[in-house]
Amino acid sequence: MTYFVFFLGVCFVLGGLAVASNPSPYYGVVGLVLASVAGCGWLVSLGISFVALVLFMVYLGGMLVVFVYSVALAADPFPEAWGSWDVMGYSFGFVLVLVMGVVIGGFAECWGLGVVTVDSGGVSFVRLDFNGVAMLYSWGVGMFLMAGWGLLLTLFVVLELVRGLSRGAIRAV
Amino acid sequence: MSIMHLNFYLAFTLSSLGLAFHRTHLVSALLCLESMMLSLYIALSLWPVETQTTSFTMMPMLMLAFSACEAGTGLAMLVASTRTHGSDHLHTLNLLQC
Repeated sequence: MTYFVFFLGVCFVLGGLAVASNPSPYYGVVGLVLASVAGCGWLVSLGISFVALVLFMVYLGGMLVVFVYSVALAADPFPEAWGSWDVMGYSFGFVLVLVMGVVIGGFAECWGLGVVTVDSGGVSFVRLDFNGVAMLYSWGVGMFLMAGWGLLLTLFVVLELVRGLSRGAIRAV
Repeated sequence: MSIMHLNFYLAFTLSSLGLAFHRTHLVSALLCLESMMLSLYIALSLWPVETQTTSFTMMPMLMLAFSACEAGTGLAMLVASTRTHGSDHLHTLNLLQC
């Protein structure tokens, strides 16, 4: 079980490596999907399944789908693949950063997990993630309302950014 | 450093290096930014698990809400640059070039 969690963590880092050294945005999106699936599996194996489900539905099913559509709009019809030489150079540099991180992080004590189990017991049962996020609506209502206000504001920001013909913020065309 | 911390620390560092070295497309820089947000989300989710404080579990939710705002704004700028210049290649953003 330890090695399964470690394997999910390695898949997460490899997904980040694929996003950083992508030859074309199509491969970057694949790396991001792999990283978010591995991160979600990592959170589930630690016991915080609500946080993992929010990651899946909001991040993977909401934001990444929109990114895939935008990549289909913006990327070239003839993308370069993993085999070209400058992409290999970038990938090799990022693998060097990864190896340096593992060496500096201490390969000997890097195997200790350092995380305890989640479900708290006692007389009453409280799930750490479910009830923690539920406190967003009771004690954290100020931040909740500010986040909602910020999301509403973002809609108007996006409207002003893409409006064209010299009536908007950016476009002069 | 424990393996949990090393994982998201390495993913964050690799994504920020990918953001610094983005080459042709604007959208690959936005993808690296999203990958940084993902590693921050995992880091903020692991923190209440390790310290067993329940109320900090709302922190990754709020971070995800603001990261959605930022992703939407970045994509709006991508659409604006594609409709103005015809593509999102970074060499078309040369207004300040001498």
